[in-house]
Amino acid sequence: MTELLKANIWADVKFYRRSKLLLAFMLVFLLLTALQSLPPLFMDSGVQSFNSLQQIVADLNFFLLILAGGMGLLIISSHLRSRSLKMVFTKPCPPELWLLSAYVSAAVMSLLLNLVVLGSGVLLSVLWHLPVRMGLVFVSAETFAVSLGLIAYLMLLGTVIHPALAAIVAVIFNADLFYQFDVWTKAAMRSGNSSIALRMVERLFHGLYILLPMVYPFDKQTQNIHTSLRVMSGEWKYLLFSLGYTLALSAFCYCVSLFALKRKNHI
Amino acid sequence: MIVAEDVHVNFRTKLFGPMVRALNGLTLEVREGDFFALVGRNGAGKSTAMYCFLGLLRPTSGKVQIMGQLPELGSRLYKNVAYLPEEPHYHLYLTVEEATRYYTSLYGKHVSNKTINESLERLGLAEFKTLPLAKCSKGMKQKVGIAQCLIHQPKVLFLDEPTRGLDPLIVREFRETLQEIHQRGATIVMNSHVLSEVEMLANRVAIIDRGTVVVQDELQNLLTLDQELYRVVFEANGTVPDYLNAVEHTGNLVRAFLPKARLGDFLELVRTSGLLLQECSLKKASLEESFFNLVKGEATLTENENGNREVSVS
Repeated sequence: MTELLKANIWADVKFYRRSKLLLAFMLVFLLLTALQSLPPLFMDSGVQSFNSLQQIVADLNFFLLILAGGMGLLIISSHLRSRSLKMVFTKPCPPELWLLSAYVSAAVMSLLLNLVVLGSGVLLSVLWHLPVRMGLVFVSAETFAVSLGLIAYLMLLGTVIHPALAAIVAVIFNADLFYQFDVWTKAAMRSGNSSIALRMVERLFHGLYILLPMVYPFDKQTQNIHTSLRVMSGEWKYLLFSLGYTLALSAFCYCVSLFALKRKNHI
Repeated sequence: MIVAEDVHVNFRTKLFGPMVRALNGLTLEVREGDFFALVGRNGAGKSTAMYCFLGLLRPTSGKVQIMGQLPELGSRLYKNVAYLPEEPHYHLYLTVEEATRYYTSLYGKHVSNKTINESLERLGLAEFKTLPLAKCSKGMKQKVGIAQCLIHQPKVLFLDEPTRGLDPLIVREFRETLQEIHQRGATIVMNSHVLSEVEMLANRVAIIDRGTVVVQDELQNLLTLDQELYRVVFEANGTVPDYLNAVEHTGNLVRAFLPKARLGDFLELVRTSGLLLQECSLKKASLEESFFNLVKGEATLTENENGNREVSVS
């Protein structure tokens, strides 16, 4: 089993390395980040340098989340669309193992990229004579935890629907959108409109908001850490909570993806 | 060894498209040690049948078993199974060597670099081993498929149009390899349009048409489809018996087919009327002729009162 897992992870890592789409996305974002880090080189103010550092770290972590989701989506959809899984499943390698390998390989890539971003944050702090704050570690660890859930969610979407639709669902029709709709419908009901249709729509939006996975489940509690890059001793627990949420989400998405993968005809 | 019982496969090509009946009560049995060929025209259901055997496609109804087990994706059953797909649906981002290594490592056994290199060398892929599959020709991809199929010396091989796109030298070597593997006791199931190849390799054949098995028998039995006829060439002196078929005249030379039952009468005629007989030979049938007769419905396979199979051509 370990041999099979290793063989699949090895092949998946080759896939990520050679995916031109991921490479192009990475290059464009790194170029933008590099351009963003130029102005502070000509500034003397520590505050401005810190603001730039905080912005760069936030952008890079946002980029990592998109990349992690992209990796999860691409690894599934490209194999399904190229119909190459028939070469895997006609060997003693069950879908459970292949799916797990795909998840683990995306998680490993995400971890490596997170470490690179963390290293870049530390390096920029040193270069700009700023204290290296623990918030950098917290933000990186939280981004990694969140990216695990995103990988699993996008893998699930990639298994059941077309990748373009999956991307649209993930980017547009997510929990944030339905939260906004839920707030608007509640506001409309408070202003006197209490028709049955509106109440039903409000229930629907609320249900979708609850059902769909959240990117940052504890964003209210950790917002200060992201802006100040400081962590209070009592705030580390949110990292564990995030990890717990994301692992539970991953397990759920894995089971549904596996069910869908097994139901598909791989011809 | 491999059994399919009344297998039906229906599916829609589009979400709201018409229902396509790919297999319509397919029933066949492949015995251990058989070199079994599935032949049929395009869209007859050969590849669909193979997908069902491999568990890649779930039948709408009916039962498929390999070695007494239901084929489930990636199960232990596949430890002794190798599959060569018709279309090169491989991991195109891997190189020739990487793909061969990856596919062989999925059997969970260690395969040495030496074995992989030897296999690539044998198939003429050694100089292309760093080339990504995406940039390989169809024939080269097919060779990679063959390499990953043969390295583990499987007990059961499923080959879907195995020589498609291969150069003649490799085709010959591949056929010899298949014969070797078969002689070692492996069971081989092959789809092919190349009927001459099937004649060379297979010992049992199933002819599939419109998703159902038209005939399934020993190759030798199928080749006797037309053996009830003799081909005769003689110089006629005015008399041409009316029981001859497909008579052709070239000057006074007559070419015709003689039903076996009238052989005695004809030879008696030759002796008494002094016909100059130039040739009288049992008509050699090919699988191609049998195939056409069966698929076009001009021949049927029936059982006589002794339980033996007989082929009758209408």
